[in-house]
Formats: sequence, structure tokens, C-alpha cells
Amino acid sequence: MLKRLITSLVFLLPASLQAADLRVIATTNSMGALVSGVGGQRIDLSVLAPPDRDAHFLQAKPSMMRDLRRADLVISVGAELEAGWLPVAVKRAANPVIQPGQSGYFEAAEHLHLLDVGESGGGHVHATGDPHFNLDPRRMLDLLPALADRLASLDPAGAPHYRENAKRAVARIEARLPDWRARTESAPGAVFHHADTRYLMDWLDLPTLGYLEPVPGVPPTARHIQELAETLAGRDGVIIHAPYHSERAPRKLANTLGWPVRQRYTEPQSPTFDAWLELIDNWVTALATGS
Amino acid sequence: MKNSPHHRLLLPALLGASTLAAIPTAVAEETALPFSPKVSVILDGVYYDDSLDGSGDEMLGETAGIFDAHGHAEGHEHGLEQGFNLRHTEVVLSGSVDGMFDARLNVAISDEGDVELEEAFFMTTGLPAGLRLKAGKFYSGIGYTNEKHPHSWDFVDQNLAYRTLLGTHGLSDTGLQLTWLPAWDHYTLFGIEAFQGDNNERLGTEAEHADELPDRDKAPRLWTAFAKWSPDLGYDHALQLGASAAFFRSHQAMHHHGEPEEHGLDGDARLWGIDAVYKYDSGRAYGQGDWRVSGEYLWVDKNLEVAHHESNPGVIGEARDFSEDGLYVQATYGIAPRWEVGLRYAAVGFTNETRGPRPAVDADYDESQRWTAAATWHLSETSRIRAQVAQVSGAFDDHREDYTQFYLQYQMSLGAHAAHSF
Repeated sequence: MLKRLITSLVFLLPASLQAADLRVIATTNSMGALVSGVGGQRIDLSVLAPPDRDAHFLQAKPSMMRDLRRADLVISVGAELEAGWLPVAVKRAANPVIQPGQSGYFEAAEHLHLLDVGESGGGHVHATGDPHFNLDPRRMLDLLPALADRLASLDPAGAPHYRENAKRAVARIEARLPDWRARTESAPGAVFHHADTRYLMDWLDLPTLGYLEPVPGVPPTARHIQELAETLAGRDGVIIHAPYHSERAPRKLANTLGWPVRQRYTEPQSPTFDAWLELIDNWVTALATGS
Repeated sequence: MKNSPHHRLLLPALLGASTLAAIPTAVAEETALPFSPKVSVILDGVYYDDSLDGSGDEMLGETAGIFDAHGHAEGHEHGLEQGFNLRHTEVVLSGSVDGMFDARLNVAISDEGDVELEEAFFMTTGLPAGLRLKAGKFYSGIGYTNEKHPHSWDFVDQNLAYRTLLGTHGLSDTGLQLTWLPAWDHYTLFGIEAFQGDNNERLGTEAEHADELPDRDKAPRLWTAFAKWSPDLGYDHALQLGASAAFFRSHQAMHHHGEPEEHGLDGDARLWGIDAVYKYDSGRAYGQGDWRVSGEYLWVDKNLEVAHHESNPGVIGEARDFSEDGLYVQATYGIAPRWEVGLRYAAVGFTNETRGPRPAVDADYDESQRWTAAATWHLSETSRIRAQVAQVSGAFDDHREDYTQFYLQYQMSLGAHAAHSF
């Protein structure tokens, strides 16, 4: 009797609620871009960190715990990028399926080979490896099939859909790779604000000429800018920093060296696969301006 | 100091703890638990001076009111001395036990090497329906500031309302906590706690000559309930409102300190509180432009009876009703990259009275107020230096005292990046 009642109630629900939509939470727009590329219309996605914020410095907010409470899957960058807020938010969300070790918890870094594993980075938190791989198309290529597998295990009916989407996303990245490399072939290298571009420069095989921060996480000092200016005098290059960093230090260095300054976010402005492709394209353009 | 939680076992305790912490690592190899276990150490030092030759910090815990009237039997207050002070060094171990439980250990080591267990608890991670169960010794979930350890305070010291009504460490005890986070559109959390009720600094059973007093009720002697609610204001703004209550069903106290003569009281006590916190995230680098504003109001009410009197058994059975309240309001603002300034107002004793059946036992106490201003320089994510000035207008036993306090503090954290709750 009860069973029949429940069954009839289920059929009364609107069609949209009957679909096997997975509620997916991504910590950053890059992770959101990947999972939306794979999940397509079968997932409901929301992202915790706004794209104009440094995901490293967020705080566990009540609204995050509310979102995580109802999630089927949380996708994080890992390698301690979100160590200051995600563990607390996930625990306090009181949702057993997204706890670390459960299938509803996906940490991208665990599926990748990372740079700088074991380096303490002078007071920085990333001893588990550099977590800024979202600007590295090679590693994003590795993540796509892993994500498809995870989504398929949570929603077996959608497995062919996820695998097909992942394959298509891989093909779209591979189609762009020759162009991106060709455009930066003669680029002279760049100075960045923060050490979050190592994968990008490693992928394009370009030199990092310096960082505006004297030590990761410490704001630029006049003395450090002076030292950079002396070391780099006579070279070509470009200075790239995020719009949320002060323009003073990069302007000063640029004026001394006669270099261009470019502002780039390290995250796509929306959690879509197209936005992520555009982000990489924009970085390639910025790096190429130095030549 | 009869029920003192201090024990002299500095190194053995820590070595033992790190050995224990190694066990989950072995488990993690099989089950791949990404967050376990973590160790961090926080060093905390303060240079202190005041316009009373250094006695002003100790006096903050003794402002006139229903707690001071109990005499000074509460045990460990952490008064700073004039000059250099090494405050408690915090050692924190936390991690997953086996995928079903998380555990955490917070140890505070004094400058003399005494080890005090601040928290040692486990918590479920797998209960359905938004439920979580915590068991062990832990900071109660009441209020907003109560759960925060000294390294996450915005000022050098605890606010005057907490310090007077709950003690430097707030409400901390051994027991159980059950919280429920329903899957609602707005973040809403409900919690209840049951505690032993005799390990608190300021409330609960602290009587030292308990044989003079009637047997206490069986534990749990302290129950609390709290609720928190947060509307969704987008990413930049966050607001959380809370309400709490605590009921001590067996509160006992011995007064054996000067006037009046030694006597013992037995009864129950209640605590009510409301709290609000607002945070603004400007989105600029290194905390510039960020705001944090919070405030709480606490009210304590005790209904006791005289259960023992040294020289006048005739008063046994007489009622003694006490009430006292307190509040604080504080704000911090990121004035420059890595620089933060803060201002705090705290007061106790708007209501501050003892009532009995005869006018002779009635008493009214003055209120005490304190303004605190602080500037914090976060040199990096793991080190900070803070200067603080406070102006106290305090009521004490038989006089008022106005004085100024000065603090210079460092806090350095080693090891795991501690994730902090909202």
C-alpha cells in the first residue's frame, strides 16, 4: 500500500525532477568547466569559488555548506589548494556521500602527476605538489576520462553520454594544441605575480623570468621589484598579473623595463568548457605579446 | 586547583600522540583518505604592560558581579604578567580515523611545560539526514566565539563578556553533541549537547568542599541547545544569526573567601545568548578591504539555595538568585594588504544582582566596560604580529578602577594549514 502510494507520488513529480540529474559542486570554474564538458545536460552544476577570487584564500561559508549538503559529487582541485576551507565545509555539510574516500568526492590532483611534490615553498602550503594545473591542457586531457568514469559510476545510465562527451572534449583540446604552441614559439617568457603558472610555462616550454612576490603569498616589495628590474634589464618579456592584484608593482617594473603588462585571471569567467578553451587562448595571446 | 586539568607529561604525551597519529596513516594506504592526519603547532607570545603596574589583566577576570561574589575558587585563569609572556603553545592533531569518524586533539602547553587537554573528540562523518554526532571533550557549539581557539581570535585576548560569564576558554566540557543540518534553502543548523557539567571555569559544579553540600544530580548535569541561520547573500556578503541556551541542572558553589563567611549553594543555572556575525569579502588580494563584524549578548541566571553555612545554620534553605549579563561587539577591517585593524566594545553587568528573601542578602553590582583597539600585521599566511591597546572602566569589590592596557603579540603556526570554520 505504502509502496504504491510512493510510486504514484513519484509519477506526480514534474518531469525535470525525474531525470537522473547529478547535483555536482565544483570548487573552481576550471573544475566546473571540465565537469560541464563531460556531464553536459545530465548534471546540475554549481561552483563555490567565484572566478575573480584566489581559491586559496576562501573561507568556509554557511552557503557553501548548504550547497554541499545536497550534493551528489564534489570536484576539487586538491593538492591543498582548498585546504583552508573545503575540508571544513565538506565536514560541516553533514553529507556522507561527499566525504573524502567516498565516490562523491573527486580530487583532481589525485589523478595527476604534479610538479614540485614535496617542496614546502617557503611557508606556502603546497607540500603535496603545485595545484595550479588548470592552465595545463595536457593535465586537463588526463582528467577528462577520469571524470567521465566517476560520473558514470554515480549515474550508470548516463555512462555512454559521459564517455562520448569526454572524447569530444579531448578532441577539441587536441585540435587547438598545435596553434597554441606555434603562437608562443618565439615568446621571450614572462614575469608573473604569483607562482601559479608553472604548468603553463612547462607545457609551452617558456622561461619564467621572475615573480612579483618575493616569497609566495607575500606582497611585492620595492626592493624585490628593484632587484627584478636590475636582473632583467635589456631582456624582452611581458608582465602578467591577475586583476585582483595591485597594479602598482607591475606598472613600476614595466616602466623600468619597457615591457607590456597584461591582466589575466587564472580561472575561466564561467564554468563552461568553451570558457576554459578561451582562457587558455587568452593566456597564449598574453605570452605572445612579449615577442 | 583540585580539579585542575594540568598534568606534567609534556614530551611523553606528545610523543604518544604522534605515535597514535601514525596509525591512521597506515589505514589511509588501504582506503585512500586524503585529509588524514594533520599536525600543527601554534606559538603565541605576548609582551604586556598596563597603567596598574601589570596587575590589570588578572583583574579582568574579577570584575564585580555574581562570579566574583563566589570567591576565586574557579581555578586556572590566565592572567598576563607585566613583561614577556609565553602563552599556551597549541598542538593540534586531526584526521580521519577510518572513514566513518574524524578525530581531533588540541593540546595546550603552558610556559612551564604543563599540558592541558583543550579538546579531544571524535565526530561521525557518515550519519544520514544531515546529522553529526560528536563525543569527547570539546568546546560547546553555543554562541559564535565559544568554539574559537586563541589563534583564531581577532584580538589578543578573550572578550570581557565571555571572560566574566564563561571564563577565558568559554564553555568547554566532556560529553556529546548532536547537530542537524536540514537540506533547506537557507543554511540552518540545530544542535543539542549533554555534558558532564563539572569541568567549566565559571558555570557548572566547581565546589571544592563538596562533602558539605548535598549530592549532585546525576550527569549529564549540563544541557545546551543552539540554532544558527544564514541567508544567502551572494559570495561577497555572509551573515549568520544564532541563538543558544544552556541549562545547568546541578550547579553548586562554595563561597569561602573573606566576607561573607564560608557557605555553600546548590541549585540550577541558565545561560541564554544571541549572536550575529557579518563578513564582507572585497575580493582584493591579501585581505584588503575585508570586513568582519560580530556581536553577542549573554545572560546568566542562577537559582540557588543555601545548603551549608559555617556559623549560621538558620539560613540553610534560603534562596539566592543571581543574574548577570554581558555583551561584545567587534569589527575588523583590512586597511591594507596583510594589515588589519580592529575595534571591540565589551561590557558586563547591565543586569548584575543577587536577590534573597531578606534585604540583607540583596546586592547590586556595577557594570564594567572595556574598549579594545588592535592592529594586526599578517606577515604571511602563517605568521602575524599584533599590537593592542585596551581601556578598562571596571567595577571591583569596593571601588572602580579605570586603566589602560598595552599588548604586543606574535603568533606563528607550524605545519598543517588549519582550516577554520566560518
